[in-house]
Amino acid sequence: MTLPILPTSVVGSYSMPGWLERLKTEYFARRISRHDLEEIHDNAVKAAIKDQEAAGVDVITDGEMRRDNMMDYFLERLAGVQIDRSSKKFYYDFYNSSVEGKLPMVPLGLATDFRFLKSFTEREAKFCVTGPHALTKRIHNEFYPSEEALATDLARALNLELKELVKAGARIIQIDEPYYSGFPDDLDWAVKVLNTLVEGVDAKMVVHICYGNRYGKPSWEGSYRYLFPRILDAKVHQLTLEFARRGGEDLDLFREFKPPFELGVGVIDVKTQAVETPDMVADRVRKALEFVPAERVTVLPDCGCFHLPRDIAFAKLSAMVEGTRLVRKELGC
Amino acid sequence: MILQMNHLPRKTSAASAEDVVATLQSLLEEGHLEPEQFANLYVHLDWIQYRHNFREAVTVVPIADEKTGRIPLFEVHVDLRQAAPSCLRTEMLKAMTPANPGFGQHPAENDEGMPLEEFGPFRRSIVWRFNHLYWQRLAEWEGSTGHGYEEALPGGRSDANHPQAVADGVADFWTLARDLEIKKQLPPELFVLEIGVGMGTRAGLWLDRFQKLDRERGTNYYARVRFLLGDYSPATLERSKAAVAGHREQCSFVVMDALNPMQTLSFLRHKVLHIHMTNVYDNLPDEELARRDGRLFLVEARAYLPAAEAERIATEFEVPGRDLRRCIERLLDEGPGHFGDRARGVEFWRQVWAAMRLKERMVCVDDLPAEALPGELNLNRLEEALREAPSDLRFHVNSGAMESFRNTLPLLSTRGYLQVQDIFVTRWSEYRLRYHGPGKLDGSVVNWVNGALLRETAERTGFDVHFAPFRYREGSHTSILFTTQRE
Repeated sequence: MTLPILPTSVVGSYSMPGWLERLKTEYFARRISRHDLEEIHDNAVKAAIKDQEAAGVDVITDGEMRRDNMMDYFLERLAGVQIDRSSKKFYYDFYNSSVEGKLPMVPLGLATDFRFLKSFTEREAKFCVTGPHALTKRIHNEFYPSEEALATDLARALNLELKELVKAGARIIQIDEPYYSGFPDDLDWAVKVLNTLVEGVDAKMVVHICYGNRYGKPSWEGSYRYLFPRILDAKVHQLTLEFARRGGEDLDLFREFKPPFELGVGVIDVKTQAVETPDMVADRVRKALEFVPAERVTVLPDCGCFHLPRDIAFAKLSAMVEGTRLVRKELGC
Repeated sequence: MILQMNHLPRKTSAASAEDVVATLQSLLEEGHLEPEQFANLYVHLDWIQYRHNFREAVTVVPIADEKTGRIPLFEVHVDLRQAAPSCLRTEMLKAMTPANPGFGQHPAENDEGMPLEEFGPFRRSIVWRFNHLYWQRLAEWEGSTGHGYEEALPGGRSDANHPQAVADGVADFWTLARDLEIKKQLPPELFVLEIGVGMGTRAGLWLDRFQKLDRERGTNYYARVRFLLGDYSPATLERSKAAVAGHREQCSFVVMDALNPMQTLSFLRHKVLHIHMTNVYDNLPDEELARRDGRLFLVEARAYLPAAEAERIATEFEVPGRDLRRCIERLLDEGPGHFGDRARGVEFWRQVWAAMRLKERMVCVDDLPAEALPGELNLNRLEEALREAPSDLRFHVNSGAMESFRNTLPLLSTRGYLQVQDIFVTRWSEYRLRYHGPGKLDGSVVNWVNGALLRETAERTGFDVHFAPFRYREGSHTSILFTTQRE
């Protein structure tokens, strides 16, 4: 599928409905079955697909409706990771997890979920995977000599999964690494691990780095300057960053360091329910184009829309699409 | 019959639990109570610590529940501090008559008093208009009583202003600033917000102490501090200026509603490093729910003046009895000045307030329209929270405190924390240990705050809530709530 110039996309999650939150929690309280929950998830994914299509987004996801949070979907599927299933009170809580031995190198079985997404949309589809650095921060390491060693084996296991996703038809895969911003001193080894993860994966690789969105709040503050120049070694095709909430000051880093990858520019603030106008979006896109040529820019929200009410999320995505169209028109596209 | 002794036995009580049970037993034997009523009776024995409160010695709370049978059911609440054994029988009959019309008591015993409103959620009660009047016209009230409002507090002063508590708070804040600096995350401006500043004493102490500590340690953080003093009373804010006169460059004075700080300060979303409140939540609109036999009931309230008190006040202030309610409305709308003689107006206000009582009734939440319940009350989540609570329980919902809490947290920066000094019920089971309000504190309302419910609310918005006892004043019931970021 040919994408327009300045393609629009989402970072991963779509609005998590309150009713689905309750049902997920009901499942943990053993009041509904796994079978019923999966059927509910299927329907929620279809609704999320439809909303993204209706809003006019070019590259869509499954809304991550099956995920309780950005960690557990992966941790409970990673062979060798021990999960304490009693540690979760509310579905959004993180499981307590640990690694007590070397991780077996087996894929996670996520391709089924990607195939489900593809079977219900004609749009370009993206699959998002939490990166090994972030996963490492949530696992109690009782075996590996260092975080880097654990992250490297996580990357090797996830690499097998990425290849399975490509076999299932995935052409764009996003790696989420928000914990870089909280642990900037890790970046030397984190970039090496990232490269292990993407090695030999025949897809467009995107890495998303934000300042956290847990409970709809930033987890850290600061400047993206910490990424540079080390991030330039990352063997990815696109770097997706948040600029709507934080302002566009860090865009200058793209002029200063001239990174080899494309820029995914966050133009929608997902931490407020105030809906941007198309003009505001257009201004933010124009600002990004001062630093990166249009053919190397993708337009997205700052992060996932998980914590936004559905009507707000839909309105924000619609404004994002409309604002991007304004700029395309100015570019004669 | 369920007998709930909602107090510690060592308290000095006029009547005992045995007196209450024996009286009820005799009322049953004499036919004043149906066996079914007796079997379903829930008797609540309190020892009300507030000398000024809204309760009679014996109160009957009817249960309006469409699913119950033909016999009217009710609860009996006895304040063992007030109820003398010799009067218990009379008081019980008097209180039960309106709830149980079959009694056919003498009209004089059927004292409904002078209602000041219709039954409804307590958060909408006229009581809160009196509370509002008090804070808006504090100087007039204090002029009339001859003492400041802090003197009415336990210990005669606000826990907010305890020098050691303030010093410890300052040390915590300095440590946070230092940690942020080490991590190269120290913002250029350090926003600190105090909501409900009173005389500004704590703000003044805090800034004095922080300036001193900063100088001693040579860290130069003081110059970055932006201290916001927030209060909903412009008069109170004006008075607070003197206390922080030495720190004018650091201070801003913001008229704000504690229920919704975000409305005033949305430009500081995710930017405030420290927010402090003392005894604000206990003075915000509230209502109570009760769980009985697995079902939830809203406790509706109606303020009234006992008939004898209404008559006495009307006579003393030369207001025709039929105009008394209108006169009270004018007081609330226009203030005590409407009397012409302002001092007499304040005296009228004080006497009405002192005489005011609350009748209650319980309505099953299933039978209520949605608007009767607090807007943000999520019954599903409440049920989840109550799984850890005792099965039969009456508890605060603190809709005002909850609203304030929800609208304050978004102001906190990533490393910011909220600190609230107040009277908290930190575990559900504590509701069985003592009476938790409402009471009267001078011209204001005081209510305990359901910390267990606040904790639950916070968890869903990304904060963990912790409670520590206020260890700076012996015998204090105050706790300190503080938040940390939830992973």
